[in-house]
Amino acid sequence: MSTGRLVPTQLSSKSRWKVAGLVVPGLLLCNVVSAGPIRHEQHFKVAAHPVITIHNPEGLITVKAWTKGEVMVISSPASTEVTVDAEQAGNRVDISTRALSDSVAPADMKTDFQINVPEDAELQIHNDAGSVTVANVLGDMNVETVAAGVDLEDTTGYLTVKTVGGAFQCLRCAGRIEVSSISGSFKLIDLKSTHVWAQTSTGNILFNGQFLPNGTYSLKNYSGVIEVRFSPSDSFDMSATSLKGKVNNEAKLTPSTHEHHFMPRWGNALFGTFNQGRAKVELTSFDGTINILKRD
Amino acid sequence: MITNECKKFLTWLETWDSDQQPLDSPPHARGCSSCRAVFEDLKAIHAEAHTWSANEPEPPAHIWSSLHAQLKDEGLIRTPEAERVSPPVVSSPGWFANLFAQVPRPVLAGAYLSLLVAAGFALSGPFGRPSNEAIWLQGTQVVASPLSAQLDTFEQNPMASRGYVSPAVAASLHQNLAIVDNYISLCEKSVQEEPENEVARDYLFEAYQQKADLLAQINERGENVQ
Repeated sequence: MSTGRLVPTQLSSKSRWKVAGLVVPGLLLCNVVSAGPIRHEQHFKVAAHPVITIHNPEGLITVKAWTKGEVMVISSPASTEVTVDAEQAGNRVDISTRALSDSVAPADMKTDFQINVPEDAELQIHNDAGSVTVANVLGDMNVETVAAGVDLEDTTGYLTVKTVGGAFQCLRCAGRIEVSSISGSFKLIDLKSTHVWAQTSTGNILFNGQFLPNGTYSLKNYSGVIEVRFSPSDSFDMSATSLKGKVNNEAKLTPSTHEHHFMPRWGNALFGTFNQGRAKVELTSFDGTINILKRD
Repeated sequence: MITNECKKFLTWLETWDSDQQPLDSPPHARGCSSCRAVFEDLKAIHAEAHTWSANEPEPPAHIWSSLHAQLKDEGLIRTPEAERVSPPVVSSPGWFANLFAQVPRPVLAGAYLSLLVAAGFALSGPFGRPSNEAIWLQGTQVVASPLSAQLDTFEQNPMASRGYVSPAVAASLHQNLAIVDNYISLCEKSVQEEPENEVARDYLFEAYQQKADLLAQINERGENVQ
């Protein structure tokens, strides 16, 4: 084994400036690179129907399904003051963000996640602020946030979502959906769900999906707009009540044949059947507007 | 063989008070072996019971002060303002503390509030004939007033900090609390105007439920949000 030795050489004044011109930007570049986000990658082998739990105070959480039988967790904490604990217990993977000291500023607790899971994974996600995005996961899912918005795409299973102010969007979701919020708005687009229960106080609710036979669809808010889009081939029994707001309806409803509706003495209400009335739709608002509109 | 005398004896035995009446065998039991056996068994049980109560140790005097301190520590009873400056009493956790030791206190508080609201909702049914507005209004007030007071008390008594809450989260929680408070006042106004309106009452109790949930979340995150 040989060792090399560097011999200092005398440089001219001009050369020194040239060297400095190269070294200083290089050092600055290294500094910028080292100050970038920290990135950890972990892999966990799992069996069928794994359960993945995520507890994070703030950050962007993106979960996507893949065909591998493993869970990949890529975490990017905003600072070195926090660490990500990812542990496997049987067929469950628990991921959580933890402060390394008591003096961590709330902003430093922010951590972003990119997580890949098997299609049949069950998810339990708690993320106060930032956002939660889940795509192509077919297992049951529970998401709780405060301010974080929740976007689900091509998911199925039993979905329960609870936010305080975060918006919720569900694109091409199936299965059973239960979502509640105080001020978050909901967009339920191209749904193929047999059970939808959505309740928000001041948010808007847009439902633009299929009313499947034997499905139940209950949308409720306090104020804001509830908008339901229907196509001519849909079949539903409609009940729409706004205590102090308006109900605008483009559906040609016939008196219901399935059950006797008790006409409330309060507010604006309409009841009736569209086609055979195979699905049950209940729209309720306190002083918001309810729009039942034809799909474009 | 059970005779009429035996039946009379058994009837008498049902009313027999061992502390007030003599422990000697009644005349029939002396001549009837079956009844004497029953009577002797009862006497033995009576004697054993007295032994147990005699052996029961009186709890030491300090147990009450420890229990008091524990309940204060748990926040189940309050200390008058004047006493709050005194140093805390150190006591080892008892069975009561251990019972709930694994459950976070905000969760208990939230569960308590939820139960309270649920109970209120359950009690909010018709209190009289639906046509009687005064009875409806009174019924709703009977249920709603304690709920409102409890929620206000809970709101004004923050628990200890235990989390890292970003400004965005704190702002969202406060903003939504204001929304729910406004929602409650509008619903209350509506119920006042139309006491028989069951839709308005449903919305009112849902608003209380939301406030309870929200306060539990705020308490869970601690004083950073207060």
